[in-house]
Amino acid sequence: MTRDEAQRLLHAYVDGELDPAKALELEAHLAENPAARAACERLRGMSAAIRTKVDYHVAPAAFAERLSASVPGAQERPRRLMLARWLVPAAALAGVALLAWIAAALLVRPGADDRLAAEVLDAHVRATLAGRPFDVASADQHTVKPWLSARLPFSPPVADLSAQGFELSGGRLDYVGGQRVAVLAYKRRQHLIDVFVWPSAARPAEPRLARDGFNIERFARDGMEFWLVSDLNRNELGDLARLLEEHSAL
Amino acid sequence: MLPHLDAAYNLARWITRNDHDAQDVVQEAVLRAYRFLDGLRGEAKPWLLAIVRNSCLTWLQVNRPADLAGFDDRIVEAPAPEDEGPEAQAMRAFDRRMLNEAIAALPAQFREVLVLRELEDMSYKEIARVADVPIGTVMSRLARARRLLGESVRAVSNAAGI
Repeated sequence: MTRDEAQRLLHAYVDGELDPAKALELEAHLAENPAARAACERLRGMSAAIRTKVDYHVAPAAFAERLSASVPGAQERPRRLMLARWLVPAAALAGVALLAWIAAALLVRPGADDRLAAEVLDAHVRATLAGRPFDVASADQHTVKPWLSARLPFSPPVADLSAQGFELSGGRLDYVGGQRVAVLAYKRRQHLIDVFVWPSAARPAEPRLARDGFNIERFARDGMEFWLVSDLNRNELGDLARLLEEHSAL
Repeated sequence: MLPHLDAAYNLARWITRNDHDAQDVVQEAVLRAYRFLDGLRGEAKPWLLAIVRNSCLTWLQVNRPADLAGFDDRIVEAPAPEDEGPEAQAMRAFDRRMLNEAIAALPAQFREVLVLRELEDMSYKEIARVADVPIGTVMSRLARARRLLGESVRAVSNAAGI
């Protein structure tokens, strides 16, 4: 890849908009070029600074109320319209989808990876719903790590990333893929991020997934598998994955 | 609560740069959106934001024609500076107020893509729909927006001796 092309694609890469093949090419280029790598880090830093520091202007409550009142039937109108308009094709589609689903369920069993993703996501949602995101609440890695090590047959790496804007809020145990796993809970603004860690020789196929509005990032490092789940946007979740990968190598 | 109202308000507020105008524009846009509800294809959020954006432009045309210059595509390209060093540190040291002001000072076409990308976390495709430009243009505007922002951050921090 030429320097010009790399420069042109860098923004799309940082924004998670490059297709996987181009992203791999660009990563190879970055690995060889410290200057390009620095430019990439600068872009990420800028993006993170904007996301954490720039005002998001929420509609004032009084204005929102006034506006809702001035739009007659704002709540039910779209639904009714949609229903009437789309009912027939939607029903037909639903029928086809159902048949396809039955056929798929009969023919293809979900892959192990898919099952894991579903389990990890379920565990994250359950913990959030139950209002019990961690068993040990502490921002101190030297409290969380021993607590987890004492209850697991392995010792997960626990990184302090508060300087990078990811606050450690605690750890818990969970059960995923037929084994006990460590979960580190990080916080970014109002978003809770669960990092599932367990020993594994597997290499995750797809590094990032999106399910039901949640983003999932995963990677393997030194015999451990890491799965990050959150409703945080994919840029920032990707940042955390990268930071964890760097820290777990130390 | 109307769907995507906060996103609509945030965009209008960043384009018009004040609360009162943002309310006027969003109100008009939402009423218009409901009138044209039948035109809704695909996702609601980019569709609504495209209407909000158009209302902003119409509003600027009538009330603040000078601001429309920010949407002019012929804005001349400044040469990329050779040394793109310390703005990353400056960004970190930069306080909230200065960063907000730097973005508010960007020409409108760059401000809007930055707001849609970073604050709304929209994809290039969605931004292209809102701003009614090809995806390639979204990409180059974002790159320009970030470069301009980097330059202005560096200029301010140099002046302040950070």
